[in-house]
Amino acid sequence: MSATAATGPLEGLAPRAESPSRLAWRRLRRDRAALVSGCFLLFLLFAVLPGAPLLERAVGHGPNDFFPFAVDVSLRPVGPWSWVPDTSMVPGIDETTFEQEAPPPGTGKTLLVLGADGTLGRDELLRLLYGGRVSLLVAIGATLLALVIGTTLGTVAAFFGGWVDGLISRFTDLVMAFPVLLLAIVLGSTVSMKLDDITFGGALNKGVLSLMLLIGFFTWFYPARIVRSLILSLRGREFVEAAEMIGSSDAKIMRTHLFPHVIPALAVWATLAVATNIMLEAGITFLGVGIKLPTTSWGTMLAATWGTVLSPLPYNPATFSPWLTIIPSATIFVTVLALTLFGEGLREAFDPRGVR
Amino acid sequence: MTTLGYVVRRLAASVVMLFLLITLTFALYQAIPANPAGFLVDMQKAKPAAIAEAEEALGLHKPLYEQYGLYLWRLAHGDLGIAYQNSLLTYQGDRIGKAVGPAVVRAAMVTGALVLGGAVLALLISIPLGAIAASRPRSWLDRGILAFSLIGICTHPLVVALLLQQFPGRQWGVAPPSGYCPFFGTAGEPAKLDYFSLSQDLGCAGPRAWTTHLILPWITFALFFLAIYTRLVRVRMLEVMEEPFIRTAAAKGASRTRIVRHHALRNAMGPVLTLAAMDVGLALGIALYIESVYRLPGLGLTTLSALNGDVGFDLPMILGIVLVVGIVIIVLNFAIDLIVLWMDPRAAQAGTRRSAVGRIA
Repeated sequence: MSATAATGPLEGLAPRAESPSRLAWRRLRRDRAALVSGCFLLFLLFAVLPGAPLLERAVGHGPNDFFPFAVDVSLRPVGPWSWVPDTSMVPGIDETTFEQEAPPPGTGKTLLVLGADGTLGRDELLRLLYGGRVSLLVAIGATLLALVIGTTLGTVAAFFGGWVDGLISRFTDLVMAFPVLLLAIVLGSTVSMKLDDITFGGALNKGVLSLMLLIGFFTWFYPARIVRSLILSLRGREFVEAAEMIGSSDAKIMRTHLFPHVIPALAVWATLAVATNIMLEAGITFLGVGIKLPTTSWGTMLAATWGTVLSPLPYNPATFSPWLTIIPSATIFVTVLALTLFGEGLREAFDPRGVR
Repeated sequence: MTTLGYVVRRLAASVVMLFLLITLTFALYQAIPANPAGFLVDMQKAKPAAIAEAEEALGLHKPLYEQYGLYLWRLAHGDLGIAYQNSLLTYQGDRIGKAVGPAVVRAAMVTGALVLGGAVLALLISIPLGAIAASRPRSWLDRGILAFSLIGICTHPLVVALLLQQFPGRQWGVAPPSGYCPFFGTAGEPAKLDYFSLSQDLGCAGPRAWTTHLILPWITFALFFLAIYTRLVRVRMLEVMEEPFIRTAAAKGASRTRIVRHHALRNAMGPVLTLAAMDVGLALGIALYIESVYRLPGLGLTTLSALNGDVGFDLPMILGIVLVVGIVIIVLNFAIDLIVLWMDPRAAQAGTRRSAVGRIA
């Protein structure tokens, strides 16, 4: 029985062909964990991009404004949700009681939602949001850079084969075995000196570009491998042979027949890579090579209570404020978790059989 | 291709890689504006003659290719040179200071203790956990273990290190929050923390002090790899449990425990151990975080101090570290290749390796 014979009574019963992307979208919508993570990521983008300046407007101070009154005599910053005198004046200290003198009469109060960020008394929440901008920018920028380099080299390796492929693959294999972080900090502390001042007319914060390039440069191996192996396995398939037979050019085969198969894998990789890049940014910055103060990022905030490698802050139980470690820690954790769950959801949506 | 050819090719590729790394580090150094003569004389106050003398002692008066050639020549004779930092000029115009070789070896021992101890701890816990999870797939226990491992993967090792240092270390006083004590030596005499020490000299020594000071670093290290390896062991076990020989074992009446322990786990372990050895690069990165938080004078902290000294970049030290790390990783990778080849000779043809996963260090 041919397919045309089925029109008539069976019309509408035959399954409608759906495009793979629509199918994936339908599966993704059913995955609760991925959906919640996706919503959180949208919320995060909103909070960081328009949210940070909006909040700045609402509370009436910026992320780099000092509130010396938010720090007590023993240099302990105030905790979450405190109203502090709205002045950058350094409080005097009473000689007899050793307590802070009252601020000048007529000073208003301002709200620090998550408290002060350390001895300088800056707004922790605003710094978290503006720091998120920097961290996400570095992570996403580095991922895009790695995607561009990796896809190009992976395609080249798979298409030309022979010694080109051998060179690229061998290089990839060996560099992947090396401690990327060690090489990154060695490279970072030499090269970033020259790149730190490039900010594209203030569009990027100082140090953002060099960190982006650094992370991107050390992570393109993964997309290169993914693209190479996928294209190698697809090249021998019938539909590619058929396309060759009807005389399609290499470029056209790449564009219309091979790339659509590569995109899902790259999308999954990119989502997970943004997560690992956020961690790398925090790590490299923590080690003193990445983002430099006063620009804030989640890495600099993580180091707030700890100091730097060269001069760690001495520990004093009386003035120590654990939330300064816990707030950025929790933010990084939740963001990375959301990205990971979303990435796994994407993987499952694109290829439900390949996942356990 | 013959097995011998495969081995020779891999070895050659490794040596070329090592050479490239050294050359790259050397070339990068030339991009730094600072003059290493600053390590020997005060560049602001010294007379030009003194600066020239210092440059001569450092070999900087020679052309670049000659400096590079000389470095390689000495390297071939096993001489890694003298660190720039804390070196002095004698009246004869010679430079004396810390030898890079012994300093790097000493630092490598500290990192080795951290990585080995942490890895043993991680494997000891993750193998049973993964096996338990895989023996009852999709049960609550399985889901719980998976959720735990997901949390572990998503937590930055720095966060774990900072929190462990803060709470059990400082506030509850369970274990020392920072510092390192050498295994050999006697307490009281100042520890030989070679090179310039970013880590505080605690003046303690002996196996007991060594162990207590490494407890928190080991746990931090293990928690990260525990998460990864539990998942890995679980997936491998699930794969092995579907093999025909498991069905055979069940058919001849072996108990469930016996099947898991004797038949499945043994077959799942090979690849997992291979991967563990392959992750040394990642492990050294994680160790870098841990060493800087807990102030252990290992390779990571030494690198950071060599990079961030008062005057600048201590090239001989950095080259020494890159070289030693490179050799360790290449030797390990080579050993893994041989093991894989020994287990499955078809690998020489395919040369297949682990698929790409994200790395954070």
